[in-house]
Amino acid sequence: MNPIVRPFAVLAATTLLAGVAAAQSAPAAGVPSAPEPAPGLSLKKVVQSFNPDVSAVLDGFYYYEDSAEGLGHVMEELSGFGHAHGEGEDAHGHDHGIDNGFNLRHIELIVSASVDPYFRALVNAAVDEHGAELEEAWFETIALPGGLKLKAGKFYSDFGYINAQHAHQWDFTDQPLIYRLLLGDHGLNDKGAQLSWLAPTPFYLVAGIEGFQGDNEASYAYHGEEPLPERDAPRVAVGWLKFGPDLPGCHGLQFGVFGITGAHQEEYDGDEDGTHDQWLDGDSTIWGADFIYRYDAPKPYAQGDLTVQGEYASRTKSLDLVADDLAPEFVGSAREDRQDGYYLQTLYGVLPRWRAGVRWEQVGLTNEADLPNGESESFDPSWKASAMVDFTPSEFSRFRVQVARGGYETEEGTEEATEVSLQAIFSIGAHGAHKF
Amino acid sequence: MRTMIPAAAALVAAAALAAPAAPLRVVATTSDLADIARAVAGDRAGVRSICTGADDPHMMQGKPSFILAARDADLWIRVGLELEIGWEPVVLEGSRNPRIQPGQPGHLDAGSLIEPIDVPAGPVTREMGDVHPSGNPHFWVDPWNARIIATAVAERLAALDAGGAGAYAANAASFRKAVDERMFGAAALAKIPGDELWALRAAGTLDERLKREGIAGGGWDAMMRPLRGARVFTYHRSWGYFARRFGLEVAGEIEPKPGIPPSGAHLDRLVAKAKSAGVALILQEPFYNARAARRIAEKTGLPVVLTPISVGGAPEAKDYLATIDTAVARLAAAKPSAEGARQ
Repeated sequence: MNPIVRPFAVLAATTLLAGVAAAQSAPAAGVPSAPEPAPGLSLKKVVQSFNPDVSAVLDGFYYYEDSAEGLGHVMEELSGFGHAHGEGEDAHGHDHGIDNGFNLRHIELIVSASVDPYFRALVNAAVDEHGAELEEAWFETIALPGGLKLKAGKFYSDFGYINAQHAHQWDFTDQPLIYRLLLGDHGLNDKGAQLSWLAPTPFYLVAGIEGFQGDNEASYAYHGEEPLPERDAPRVAVGWLKFGPDLPGCHGLQFGVFGITGAHQEEYDGDEDGTHDQWLDGDSTIWGADFIYRYDAPKPYAQGDLTVQGEYASRTKSLDLVADDLAPEFVGSAREDRQDGYYLQTLYGVLPRWRAGVRWEQVGLTNEADLPNGESESFDPSWKASAMVDFTPSEFSRFRVQVARGGYETEEGTEEATEVSLQAIFSIGAHGAHKF
Repeated sequence: MRTMIPAAAALVAAAALAAPAAPLRVVATTSDLADIARAVAGDRAGVRSICTGADDPHMMQGKPSFILAARDADLWIRVGLELEIGWEPVVLEGSRNPRIQPGQPGHLDAGSLIEPIDVPAGPVTREMGDVHPSGNPHFWVDPWNARIIATAVAERLAALDAGGAGAYAANAASFRKAVDERMFGAAALAKIPGDELWALRAAGTLDERLKREGIAGGGWDAMMRPLRGARVFTYHRSWGYFARRFGLEVAGEIEPKPGIPPSGAHLDRLVAKAKSAGVALILQEPFYNARAARRIAEKTGLPVVLTPISVGGAPEAKDYLATIDTAVARLAAAKPSAEGARQ
């Protein structure tokens, strides 16, 4: 309870301090004062305090899906994208397995503020029923010249569009398949540093480079234990470019391209005896592109607003077979996996405070593996179609119903499944504005 | 890092000194602030507005083009009082422009200069809807506040461009004079200085003084005189400053709480109140749907006055003075319902 109670205490303290500040504040000197002081309106100065913004985001949903063994399991077995054993769930503090019935996503407790005239900092502690995890803890510069910004700590990479968004900002209940399959439930979120530059061009152009420690659960897994070699950190490098024309008024458009490369290791338990018997080491590279268009209709309560967005990502894993207890003759041979995927989605403000959206996605359009034994495999793509309607009573609450149907390729063939979710998101406290 | 900060500061200072004397670039969050800034800056600065008059400044999103505008700005002028809280931080952070961050000389927070109304007296909770804890941010519709903004913009521009100080002060003075003339009429302004006219008006002794000296009253003040004391409904809590200035009484809002669209039950309550409280008319901005207002009008006979609250919100509202002109003219032309008309 304690971590949840604390922000409320801070909020209460903030209110108290604000009250004191208000009582003490005097009209600013030198400002021409209105000659019409109505009684009770002598409070002139905006109430100020040095307290950080503190907020908590609650995100829960009721979920139903009709697959035979559970979609979480299907995802792990998805042809070409299957998890290596020993990764995933136990590599991170909390897994995001979704059960039929009631689910509570981790609660984000976010504290952010300007540190001084030079830095801004944010801490985001994700708390769930099983414990707490530090989701973000970073600072960034706010006064570097030349359009430069330096950020360091634990943070979400700014590549692509959705990666840097928190779950409560997603326009659908779940993240796109390609993100989940290539980077796991957390996306690319790691300890590292970022340098970005806003170019002095007549259009919007931001370039960023990032270095991360490299312990992503899916594409940048690292074990570093015998017989796998140790690899020096930082093990993951990211580069991205975002471009946007200077569109007038209601229109916003941004394109992005990105590349991610880094060390990747896998361990397998081929004979399923509970111990690893195959080890691979090498690099994994992802490149891709993203775009978003937003139309901000001149109507209140987001009616008529339109968003169209999409992202494509392609991954190549180039690994060497370091050791293999079951087939030692292939040790030293290479394995290469090539997978890709995309999503396209659009949202429209159908009524004041009501939005409707559809999303189409495919993964594995390219879906090949060249194995150490010289053989090659290729697999069919999987697909998913989602539709959602959400209602936003205020900026701080949202209710969503989402229906999805997907066809998933596994060794046992195509499994089609339907998912339904009813979601509620609440934000309390002072929450920062969201990026474009 | 410690050695980096002074180095960075020195670089910024050097860049500022080395910069050629190009015209200043001013970016205002709303079209009204931009129009006032334009009047004050004259040809010494380029002024750009983030919102057009048709946008709701509560609900904007930080777009790449806004970040571009902020990147190049020497002066950022905002309404403040948390009106732009949903998007301004993203734009300011994204701009990487240290000159316009809050607290810098290049950041002018107009809301901190005016006398706010609707400051919640007790604790604020979000059960109250989209309330602004520091007060109502729609202050620019009061012409007195436009004068305050013009003066502050002139001072701030002079701080950034000392060579233009005289021009900025003169431009601000002529803007204030133009406001005064529209407010009280040329005849009154010819006999009594503007500041005194405002003070007399505030004290409630202006009419008496004009009568005594045989001066014909004019301007917005005279046009709005028949509506003094009239009760009105507004859509959002956005006309409070205007109402206070011209002696209207806001008897209710079509939004049950700020930022919450109306329900049928709430409209029924307003219909009842229109009759019991003797409401004269409904006043709202054209960017809100007028269906709710028309529904009340059908049942009560109240006139519905649609008029923009911001420059560019209608073709007639081509600048600040024309925006107030339009509002005053449309209100004065409205025929208050019989039971709502008060002497």
